[in-house]
This record gives sequence, C-alpha cells and structure tokens, in this order.
Amino acid sequence: MDTQAKEAGIFTSTVDFVVNWGRKNSLWPFPYGTACCAIEFMSTESSRYDLSRMGSEYVRFTPRQSDVLVVSGTITYKQAPILKRIYEQMAEPKWVISMGACACSGGFYDCYCTVPGIDHIIPVDVYIGGCPPRPESFFDAMFDLQNKIADESYMKERAERVRDQLEAIQLKTAECKEELISCSHAKVDELKGKAEGLKRDMIKKATFWKEP
Amino acid sequence: MSHCENRVETPVVATAEARQEFAEKVLPILESRFGAVRDEDDQWGFTVVVEGAQLRNVVLFLRDGHEYRVNMLLDVVGVDYLGFKDYTGPRFAVEYALKSVYNPSRRIRIKVRVSETDCKVPTISDLFPIANWQEREVWDQYGIVFENHPDLRRLLNHAEFQGHPLRKDYPAHKRQWLSTNDFLLPELEARLEAKGYKIISRSKEVVPDAEEYLTGSIKQ
Repeated sequence: MDTQAKEAGIFTSTVDFVVNWGRKNSLWPFPYGTACCAIEFMSTESSRYDLSRMGSEYVRFTPRQSDVLVVSGTITYKQAPILKRIYEQMAEPKWVISMGACACSGGFYDCYCTVPGIDHIIPVDVYIGGCPPRPESFFDAMFDLQNKIADESYMKERAERVRDQLEAIQLKTAECKEELISCSHAKVDELKGKAEGLKRDMIKKATFWKEP
Repeated sequence: MSHCENRVETPVVATAEARQEFAEKVLPILESRFGAVRDEDDQWGFTVVVEGAQLRNVVLFLRDGHEYRVNMLLDVVGVDYLGFKDYTGPRFAVEYALKSVYNPSRRIRIKVRVSETDCKVPTISDLFPIANWQEREVWDQYGIVFENHPDLRRLLNHAEFQGHPLRKDYPAHKRQWLSTNDFLLPELEARLEAKGYKIISRSKEVVPDAEEYLTGSIKQ
C-alpha cells in the first residue's frame, strides 16, 4: 500500500473531496430572469466577464439539467407558483442564488402584487444585493456558493438519505401490514357470515323438504 | 410630378391655437346634442363630462360623425375619487382619451362619472376593438363593470385574485398567495382549432390544493 501510493498516477483522497470538487466546478445555472438583473447576468455570462472560467459553462434553459437556480428579477405573486414549480423540477443537488434587491426582499416594490423576497417560496443559498448587482458581485456569490459546496459532505448526506429512506420504508411496511391484517380480518368475517348464511339456507331447505 | 409634391408636404403639428380652435368648434355640438359639460378642472387639456347613457353616441359622433374624425382611442382610465380633497360626487370615473390620426391637435378626453352603487358603464369595445383589453384592465383594477363587454375577465391580476387593488380602500399591505399558475392551454387549443389545426390530445389542468402547495410537491 505504502509503495503503491508513491508510484506515479495514484493519489489518495476522500470521496467527499472528489464529489465536491466535481460539483463546485461544474455549476450549470438556470437563468430565471424577470427584470433588469437578467441583463447583468447576461453580461456576466458573456465573454468580457466569462462565467465559464469557473465551470458554469452552459446556461441551461431546462430545470432538469441545471444545478443553480439564478432568480434575477422581481417575482410577482402571479409568477410565484411558476418559480416554485421550476424549483421542484430541478434534480438534487440544487442551489439557489437570489440576485438583486427585488428577488432578495421585494426591493422598492412594496405593493399588492410583489413577493417580498423569494425566500417566502423557496430556500435560498446566496443573496446578492444591488439594483442591479454588478457582474463582480455575481462572481463573489458564485465563489461563496463554491465554498459552501466544498463544506458539504456527500457521504454524510447519503447516509442520512439512506436512513430516511429506510425509515420511510419501515413505516410504510408497518402501515401496509396493519392494513393487510385488518383487511384479512374483514375478509374472514365476511366469509364466516357467508358460510352462516349458506348453512341457514341449507337448514331451511332441508326442513322444508322434510315436511310432508 | 404632383405625386412628388405631395410627399414633401409640411407635417401637421399640434399648436395651442389649433387645439383651442378644435375645442371651440366641437364643444357647442357636444353640449347641444349630448348634454356634455366641459370639465373646468382640466385646465390644459380638453375634457368633457358626459352621462353614461350618452357615451356611445358621443364616441360614435367623434369617430365618424363630422369632418374632424377623432378616430383613435389612446387609453381607457379608471379613477377612484375616494378621499379626494373637496370632492362631492360619484366615487368613480372612467376617462377615454381620444385623438385624431390626421391632426395631432385634435385631442379630447371624455369622462363618465360612475357611482359606487351602480358601477356600470356601457362598453365601446365594438366601436374600438382596442377598448376590449383596456376595459378589462379597468374592470380588473377598479371593479367597474362594462355592460355588454364580450369577455370581461381579469387582465393583469391572477384569476384567483380577490378584490380590486387600485381602489383606494384596498389595504396597501395586503398580500394574496396564489396556488396555481394560469392555465392557458384550452385558449391556445381553441385558437389553433380556429385556424384549422387538429387537436390530438387535450391537456388537463393540474389543480393542487392549498395544503399541498405549501408543504410539498405538486402532484401530476
């Protein structure tokens, strides 16, 4: 083991480190742009600032292929169910960046139609202030998000998830068992009743034919 | 040659004199025929107040009843006078801004006062098709009903929305959570069918209940 590790082409690491390294350097954003912050996001993406330098190579326009939901712009109450639905369609692991004053807190729209911050609907990982924020602050948020991802533990998460699933399965099994037992009891009762009825009928018939 | 001369004709420009002239010419006719009154509050423009019953006649007359041809509807606006200083009159008003495409100095605003108890105005969406959506918006935000409107639905607010938000007595900090997004596919399918497309399978609406929306995912 010792000699093997010293050979070229082999190094040792933890699963967590490798997984997090992969995740944090290939964050594909989903641009949920509803206002002027989306314009700033476009300039972040394009060649002058070039977000793909840090692995956000593609902007995916489907929630099923993206990792980061970038909510850039004002969210109205009419828009809120759509945003929630998009978030639910994203596959795990997923993160959310709330970009700009409107998405963070409703901004200066203190009115009947604007959601006062998207954290009323979905969990948010990183907030960016500004109206609209500059591309530099977006980069800052991405670095923050990368640091956050580096702290996550894949194995721990997995263990938790497996435990949760196991508990859920056990719970479901117990439920099913109970249901089955009660169902079979009901069935047995029903059959017994049926048999009684048949017996009664037979007796009735027999007594009828026995009479002269 | 004459064709070229027509092309370099000087553009028609709106001047204060031309506006004044238009107002002086049109106002007596409107006063005598339709019982319109000039609104003195509007000091810079030309606004007439008419009864709701006379609205369609006035609009029709302005559109093609005389030589000026005020034939463009710019806007339909609702007004709520609740809490307006020194105002005693019906609570609401609907204003129609009209203009002529031939001469920009021919502009007029028609105001109809609407009481809170009888919140109705006749529609002009058959005279000006653009009024269809504008009247829908006024109904959405103020709750003023346009009689005989072909499709009086909400335009800006959500179908689930309760109340009319631009009324002065709507609480400014009231928030309304909505459970679903607009289901527009039947409308789209109807429009496609009208164009001769065949609909193979009709879409079905997903209706999540309130609890499900707040706690977990939306079922299929």
